[in-house]
Amino acid sequence: MTFNEIVQYFNEKYPGKVSGKVEFKCNFLQVDKSFFKDVLKELKEKFSFKYIVDIVATHWPDRDMKFDVVYNLYSIENNIRVFVKVMIPDEKIETVTDIWKGANFMEREQYDLVGVIFEGHPDLRRILLPDFFEGHPLRKDFPLKERKWFNKVDEQNLGIRFTK
Amino acid sequence: MENVKVQDKDYLGEVITINMGPQHPSTHGVLRLVVDLDGETIVDVRPDIGFLHRGVEKLAENRTYHQFIPLTDRLDYLAPLSNNLAYCLAVEKFFDVKIPERAEYLRVIFAELARIASHLVWIATHALDIGAMTVFLYAFREREMILDMFEIATGQRMTSSWIRIGGIREDVPPEFFDRLKEFIDIFEDRCNTYERLLTKNRIWLKRTVGVGYISGEDAMNYGASGPIMRGSGIKFDLRKAEPYSIYDRFDFDIPCFEEGDIYARYKVRMQEMRESRKILEQALEQIPEGPVMTDDPRVGMPSHEDVYEKMESLIRRFYLISKGFRTPKGETYACVEAPKGEVGFYIVSDGKEKPYRLKIRAASFVNLGALPIMAKGHMIADLVGIIGSVDIVLGEIDR
Repeated sequence: MTFNEIVQYFNEKYPGKVSGKVEFKCNFLQVDKSFFKDVLKELKEKFSFKYIVDIVATHWPDRDMKFDVVYNLYSIENNIRVFVKVMIPDEKIETVTDIWKGANFMEREQYDLVGVIFEGHPDLRRILLPDFFEGHPLRKDFPLKERKWFNKVDEQNLGIRFTK
Repeated sequence: MENVKVQDKDYLGEVITINMGPQHPSTHGVLRLVVDLDGETIVDVRPDIGFLHRGVEKLAENRTYHQFIPLTDRLDYLAPLSNNLAYCLAVEKFFDVKIPERAEYLRVIFAELARIASHLVWIATHALDIGAMTVFLYAFREREMILDMFEIATGQRMTSSWIRIGGIREDVPPEFFDRLKEFIDIFEDRCNTYERLLTKNRIWLKRTVGVGYISGEDAMNYGASGPIMRGSGIKFDLRKAEPYSIYDRFDFDIPCFEEGDIYARYKVRMQEMRESRKILEQALEQIPEGPVMTDDPRVGMPSHEDVYEKMESLIRRFYLISKGFRTPKGETYACVEAPKGEVGFYIVSDGKEKPYRLKIRAASFVNLGALPIMAKGHMIADLVGIIGSVDIVLGEIDR
């Protein structure tokens, strides 16, 4: 099983809508948002991509497609790694927790830091930051220094002053 | 094991929720576990993390590629060199740099030493959690030898930031190899000592065999890599599957056990230390003389001798330090088999001196996600052992 065969298979199934490229020795499979879950399911069942490695979301504020979501998958039987890239215009995308349970933690992290909302996630809460944190720090419009940690209500509750 | 069932309700007839942590001696860092208990049986566990979050990924977007290296140490502070290596491999993938032979060998030596050091801390603290004190003292004695070696070579014991993009910072002094040889000579025997204390110890067996079961399918489904996966019968190691650096030149085995419990993960790690020793032995024999930094002008830092003699090197060094270098546009990912599992760096570049987005795939973070399935149905007293067997470092989880 090589990467070319996977690309060919999906090109036959969804003609002209799936593109594959090898960039800096990494295999990228770009799929459309409308059927990306079918592709992921098929990758798991047909090509034995049972091991989910990571989910990465990137914010591109200047583009029409505001977010990239990349699924990093590994097939231990065929010894091949594939990155499935989905571009989304707004921050909403379907969850993949029903395909891989490990996506639970990964999606929560991306929701927390980048602010992508995974629809259908069983427990979409912040994971690394406190629940009352405002904003999503890995978005490009979130400044590095002029940050606001707590809101007024928390200041009163906790008896601290962090906002300007 | 799988067939352990949540017992019938106790006389209280209700599930109570208690907090374990935030500070617990069996975790390296701050971890709070919200545990639902039915009597003494665990019904559900919800890890609550983020107490150590330092925003490393955000910091990376505001630093040049060289400046980010010291921050990678602070992730998994028990094996900093593995993180250095993963990050540098990721940046080197942009350029396809040729690394000098000697640097490659030293990278392997240090990555393996970091693996042994990390596993030694693991065996020490894990045994201490379960109640064996002696191993703690023995394992730290050997770890001290490794830290001494780190100090000789890098000047630091814990956060060494020694591996650079394009090679390593500086060649090791000759004294280092004497120490390494001494360590290789005694270590096999010391491993036997630990195993004599634990492997057939009845208390140890009672506390570990059959506890914290996870099947191989589940381990993959949850993304749990490293010793958890190999303790559940899946023979997967990135050093063999996607050989990075020069791991394809060494002869070593991947330890793999079918049981999937704490005891299997213990055996995997003990065996791994012996295999690492084998790699060290071979690397010490094969290591050639030569430069340790690439002469590729795009990324390689000119050496101090060159800087003193050649104007171009001085300008180049000044430019690399103050401005950094530009990467081509695109996205890449590189990963290594760190002591805790797969550690990878996903870098998105928009052609500037700083990464546009840098995502760290931390092994402990994903492994912790698999903790609930391991803990369900066991006693609350076993939870400490199960947390220990996952081998978490909260610096890596929270980033």
